[in-house]
Amino acid sequence: MVPDLRPKLAFVLLLSVCAFVLSWQVLTLLIALVLLLPFVLPTYHPASPRARRLFLRFVLFSVALSGAIITLNGWMIQSGEPVDTILGITLYSGGLLFGIQTASRLVLLSFSVLLFFTSTPIPVCINALQQSGLSRTVVLMLLLTLHFLDTLPERIDRIFVAQEARGAPVRAGFVSRTKAFFSILSPLLLSSMAESVDRGVALELRGFLLETAPSFHTLPPAKPPSPVTVLLLTASVLIVVFSLARWLFP
Amino acid sequence: MALPITLERVSYRYAPNTTPALSDINMVLQSGTCCVILGPTGSGKSTLLHLLAGVLAKHYPESVGEGVLTIGEHRYTPFPEGILFPTVALALQDHYVQISGIRDTTRKEIELTLETLGRDPLRERASIDRLLQQLGIAHLAERKPTALSGGETQRVALATILIANPEIVLLDEPATALDYGAQSRLKLLLQSLRGTSSVVFTDTRIDLPLDVADRFIVLHAGRIQFDGNRRGFLEQLPDLGDLLPVQDWQEAIHEVKGRQDSPLRQRILRAAGLP
Repeated sequence: MVPDLRPKLAFVLLLSVCAFVLSWQVLTLLIALVLLLPFVLPTYHPASPRARRLFLRFVLFSVALSGAIITLNGWMIQSGEPVDTILGITLYSGGLLFGIQTASRLVLLSFSVLLFFTSTPIPVCINALQQSGLSRTVVLMLLLTLHFLDTLPERIDRIFVAQEARGAPVRAGFVSRTKAFFSILSPLLLSSMAESVDRGVALELRGFLLETAPSFHTLPPAKPPSPVTVLLLTASVLIVVFSLARWLFP
Repeated sequence: MALPITLERVSYRYAPNTTPALSDINMVLQSGTCCVILGPTGSGKSTLLHLLAGVLAKHYPESVGEGVLTIGEHRYTPFPEGILFPTVALALQDHYVQISGIRDTTRKEIELTLETLGRDPLRERASIDRLLQQLGIAHLAERKPTALSGGETQRVALATILIANPEIVLLDEPATALDYGAQSRLKLLLQSLRGTSSVVFTDTRIDLPLDVADRFIVLHAGRIQFDGNRRGFLEQLPDLGDLLPVQDWQEAIHEVKGRQDSPLRQRILRAAGLP
């Protein structure tokens, strides 16, 4: 039984629409909601401990990035009243507000996409796409790409461990880590691409692209979308229409 | 139902004006044969298997081939345009890539092959169970297929193609990552395939070919250096030393030439049906 991913995708769409049209006060509330969801709703629980770590790490990274965006805008866009002076840098209210709006948009967009991928295991995602009647070639390409991205951190870690075993100070600090990362980047990408080609051939050797496979033609008809999906999609459309109307007839 | 394979004057280059990977290969494998292809690295063993599976023409469009390949009643001049699965199934040397990664359990990974063929996995549950038992991986049925050891992955990869009941089974070094127990199971499995499938496999070690192969082909630089039955091969073994550089073959050759009472010599003589 392949889970219906449409409500989740509709939710991501709604959040993305909100990120573009709503004010930062509403976006902050939505960001809080997105952060709560993995703890409250089982559908949004991280799919694995690794996904949980990734989500939390991304949240911390986003907090730091948002701080930087807000500060830079407050400093560079000198409109409105001066709010404060920190280390000789004067921050202006207009710039700060613009920075907050931009940062909240970016954070909500990235969190909503991340929420979907951390709570949906790749196999489930691929199965759902296949079940929805997407071409097998496209599914195979997606599978290979996602598999490549999924295994990338593990590969980097393996290479780092191997380098450490040889005495290379790859994790001694930020600089050595960055240097080591760039030195392994091209062989890493090349080997991953070569493996993706091999994996494609291997799956073909298991009949993955057989156009004559009856299962390809006898997929069950897609079920009608659930009420939740319809509600979320309607809300997205209404928000877009309302925003357009407000823009056209101010 | 096993199918015969015939290659007539088959030559193959991965690109024009390059050294041929296979040169003037002529061979006839009767249906139900279990054939081993031996030879040093780069001799063309894997290329030959890829050619038989239909991989080469599709994935190396700039490659150049000559000759005629006949599989069963199908005649290809020179090679098939597409993958011949499920008639011909190939287990790759890198068994990790054969696992799709889109199924949570080993059982479901095997079922994926049946689904691509339009077969109902629920109806073939017994076949899957039997295959898992034969390969000694029944205990892995509910485990994640991407989190298995090398030997376990190799056997799961094998199961993913054997479940299709191919008429020709091609195995590229199927025993490399297997321990002694798993190798014994593989031997039994290959022996059980005799008659129902034609099997062609490559190997660098001595155990599997000695126990299951009834046809021996030795390749060197893309050319057949020896082609014969088990008895002929073992009689000529001392002369094939340069072409079988792997240690256990060297030991076998040394013992055949030397110690009269060596157990390995006795085993080889028994396998060859010699007094």
